[in-house]
Amino acid sequence: MPYLGSEEVVKELRRALSNPNVQADRLRYKNYITKVIRYMTQGLDVSALFMDMVKASATVDIVQKKLVYLYMCTYASDKPDLALLAVNTLRKDCADPNPMVRGLALRNMCNFRMPGMTEYIEQPIVAGLRDKASYVRRVAVLGCAKMHSLQPNTEIGRDINELEWCGLLVDLCDVFISCLDSHSDGTHSLQMKDLDSWAQSEVLTFLLRYRPRSDDELFDILSLLDAFLLSSHAHVAVATLRLFLHLASAHPTVQADALLRTSAPLLATCGAASRELRFAGLCHVQQVMRSQPGLFGTHYKRFFCGYSEPSYIKFRKMEILVELVNDENVALVLEELRSYCTDVSPELAQAAIAAIGRIARTYSEKCLDILTGLLGLKQDHITSAVIQTFRDLVWFCPQSTAAVCQTVGACVDSPQDSEGKQALLWLLGEHGDQISSAPYVMEGYIDGLKTELSSAVKMELLTAAVKMFLCRPAETQDMLGRLLHYCIEEESDVCVRDRALLYYRLLQRGVEETRKVVTGPKSDPSMSVLTGRQEEPISDTDVTLSSPDDAEEEISLSLGPPLSHETFEKMWLDLETLHRQTLGFPRPRAAPDTLQAALQLVKIQTLAFTPGDTVPWKAYIYTRSTETLILAELLQGDQQAPGSDESLVVSVKQQPVNQHAIRGFVSVLKSVLQTLNVDTL
Amino acid sequence: AWSMSASAVFVLDLKGKVLICRNYKGDVDMSEIDHFFTLLVQQEEEGLLCPVMSHGNVHFLWIKHSNLYLVATTNKNSNASLVYAFLYKLVEVFTEYFKELEEESIQDNFVVVYELLDELMDFGFPQTTDSKILQEYITQQGNKLEVAKTKVPTTVTNAVSWRSEGIRYKKNEVFIDVIESINVLVNANGSVMSSDIVGSIKLKTMLSGMPELRLGLNDRMLFALTGRDKGKAVTMEDVKFHQCVRLSRFESDRTISFIPPDGESELMSYRINTHVKPLIWIESVIEKFSHSRVEIMVKAKGQFKKQSVANNVEIRVPVPSDADSPKFKTSTGHAKYVPEKNLVVWSIKSFPGGKEFLMRAHFGLPSVENHEMEGRPPITVKFEIPYFTVSGIQVRYMKIIEKSGYQALPWVRYITQSGGERRFA
Repeated sequence: MPYLGSEEVVKELRRALSNPNVQADRLRYKNYITKVIRYMTQGLDVSALFMDMVKASATVDIVQKKLVYLYMCTYASDKPDLALLAVNTLRKDCADPNPMVRGLALRNMCNFRMPGMTEYIEQPIVAGLRDKASYVRRVAVLGCAKMHSLQPNTEIGRDINELEWCGLLVDLCDVFISCLDSHSDGTHSLQMKDLDSWAQSEVLTFLLRYRPRSDDELFDILSLLDAFLLSSHAHVAVATLRLFLHLASAHPTVQADALLRTSAPLLATCGAASRELRFAGLCHVQQVMRSQPGLFGTHYKRFFCGYSEPSYIKFRKMEILVELVNDENVALVLEELRSYCTDVSPELAQAAIAAIGRIARTYSEKCLDILTGLLGLKQDHITSAVIQTFRDLVWFCPQSTAAVCQTVGACVDSPQDSEGKQALLWLLGEHGDQISSAPYVMEGYIDGLKTELSSAVKMELLTAAVKMFLCRPAETQDMLGRLLHYCIEEESDVCVRDRALLYYRLLQRGVEETRKVVTGPKSDPSMSVLTGRQEEPISDTDVTLSSPDDAEEEISLSLGPPLSHETFEKMWLDLETLHRQTLGFPRPRAAPDTLQAALQLVKIQTLAFTPGDTVPWKAYIYTRSTETLILAELLQGDQQAPGSDESLVVSVKQQPVNQHAIRGFVSVLKSVLQTLNVDTL
Repeated sequence: AWSMSASAVFVLDLKGKVLICRNYKGDVDMSEIDHFFTLLVQQEEEGLLCPVMSHGNVHFLWIKHSNLYLVATTNKNSNASLVYAFLYKLVEVFTEYFKELEEESIQDNFVVVYELLDELMDFGFPQTTDSKILQEYITQQGNKLEVAKTKVPTTVTNAVSWRSEGIRYKKNEVFIDVIESINVLVNANGSVMSSDIVGSIKLKTMLSGMPELRLGLNDRMLFALTGRDKGKAVTMEDVKFHQCVRLSRFESDRTISFIPPDGESELMSYRINTHVKPLIWIESVIEKFSHSRVEIMVKAKGQFKKQSVANNVEIRVPVPSDADSPKFKTSTGHAKYVPEKNLVVWSIKSFPGGKEFLMRAHFGLPSVENHEMEGRPPITVKFEIPYFTVSGIQVRYMKIIEKSGYQALPWVRYITQSGGERRFA
């Protein structure tokens, strides 16, 4: 830190400190020492006074001594030569009759962080370890730790025997390692209770390094420490929990039990007076919920936000609420989150809306009502957040598509920020067939293109317009033409221009070619080309890489014993249709044998299908997956079935019901049929 | 790696200057603290403030007390609960020694603070933290601060003169507008000659009955408001509250609480004298070719954050009074000649932060030369930036309580306007 006239200041201080008249007047002398420390605190480099300050340590005034020690520690690493001279003074003080002085001198000498220090401090530390004053012994034990960190290979106190060590450790925090004694009888745990909370945390942290010699010893330690899981000091409770999780890594039930027992102190911490501790408590709760998702479900009210709480706490609480929601509390949790959506902080409001969107993946109907209601508030930031949430919801939870499209179609406000615009455009492009007003909304964006600043919005607009053209050509053709023209001829952003050119050239290749590229499958086995992986049957795909998020796809199909026509027919008539979906592409034109073989490859058995180009075209297939039998009908061209004129519609029945398996089955089926489509076209 | 807690402890003032510190372990460079305040300001602006912040592999765990930040640094997987508990313990011990813990008491008692820091923790382990025991070790009496207790008598009258009873709304809402207008004057060399911010919080209240409102502002602003930092951070001058605000309440616990007037009102206004760089930076080149033409090139750069957009930007460039036959070329927006004011007005509907735009103008000049007489008036810039304030003021909450218990919605808008940014050519 630069300081004006620092040289003058140092010069003047040196003159004063070396003035015999000043030295003779104790109070004046001390005032100058204090002045040096004040300048040091303000960031002025006063290291040039080192020798004068060392001299000042020879005093009976303990405060002056402390100040000089502090000075020495601060500048020791800058002036190692001079510091070594000071060491002698300190060593002398280590033998002072006053234990306070001994302790201070030893502590500060150990704080000289410079090479070659260890040889000077070893002897005083060893002496300190045997000091009669506990204050000094304590300093000496920490001195060992400091020395160890200075020079990790040093071995201190070789000649101190085990018994003495135990005594020292008792000094350090009066007890600790004695509870490692496998024959401990409860008296030690009493002693542990007598420690202050800092020392308890210290013991618990040290124990992390201890490896019990047997399971018996392990359980002895755990039962001795059990009470500390419920400590009223948050730091002790979490230190104990950490130790439990660490020591019991081979005993999952013990770990689970520890997590359960700590939930009470954790909840208490979440309501602590200090907001930082509350924050730490919430972070721990989140961690615990990763392995014990159900643990806090009944305590959901503890995670409602106080209005004046800082946002970092509110954000955490909302994340927790999303995780702990269940059938019992969903109504109240949603009602609470709903009230956060109108918070004065737009970030918080948007986070609350996103949280409702996450819950919508499980409780879609209730959430969609709330989200739709929010659009009525006509606030830009809320509208934008709701539309973005809709986009994510449709992606993760396709069955909500129809409801979302209806709402989006009825919504008159459009988002004003670029993220919101992109989300709306994506929805219009992806599901334009289900939103009647889609072309008009899109036209508005195309007309306002000149004032649009965000390239990302323009890119999304291009993609959405091309997708819309594919499903509603008559209404879109003209505006798509204008859009492409503008983006190719007048746009200054090269990325937008290139994207427009790409679509333009693609459209020149014909509508079908464009459709194949633009509305192609969302996940396509042939994409292995990109990753350079060998193409392999879906059912063999490695599922070990999956994280909890894509657990949806973790499903394996099997053929099992063949089903007779009669059995199939009987079951088909008895069972309810559990799932119906428009696949979005026509039936593969492959030869019947190819189709059957391809399905067989992914463990789907074909029972029967209508030959050739008969309309309507139908196929009956079945497969098995973990204890459940899945029956399905593929249909195209039936007047009665909506959506089946252009695309395949699949209806699924199952016994016993397992939605997870159905989703997996449909995704496998889609991939294989699409692969066949690509091959034959 | 596990560790007990802190590598070092720092006490900082509201501007992020280190008042005092203590290096306990020496495994984290002490200069890392320089990143703390930058991170803090950045996070607060983004609304993502958090009690743990990281820079590289150094973590800052911090709390705030009065006009101080207490910060612990560590590069290990520390027990965060323990660190926070320790920092609060520091506050407790210091308060017992000095009565009031704030910047002044740290500065006045730095010797005792050093002594205490030395005894409270060693090598990252909290030691004796009981102030009774500590007082046996550290006997020097701290200079106890005399806290001036300025008790303002509470208003005795119950009548609320600014609001009548029986107001009813179907939908209860209150709109809060935080408007800051900034004035900057830049000389021909490009240095800022003067700058200030005039801010105001306006309300449009549409609430039934006699509602009780409580407005929460971000900490940084509150301290600037109460002036407790004694001129160290941003200072607000001319702070004026509407008569409805309970000043006694504000002085005792810094809460802005009031029964609002119905409809539109100005809740508070303030002025901040601080160095602000122009939000839209202008550079211009004016070339005069005697007796024939003048060519003007103006470059405008948005010097505010990329996520923000300035709307309705108007850049007024003065031209000689006898100029004629204008021709313009702009990289965005459009330029117009206003002969009666001797100006070219270049308007840009939306101007994103970080972007740069150009305008060129070409005028014919008659042969008569009288330009020296006209002086050189400055280029002025007008604009509006929504969702943004220069001072960083933020509404943290608005609590609305009415005895009938209705639900009411507060909405906040932030706007920064130009009160005239001027640049001399």
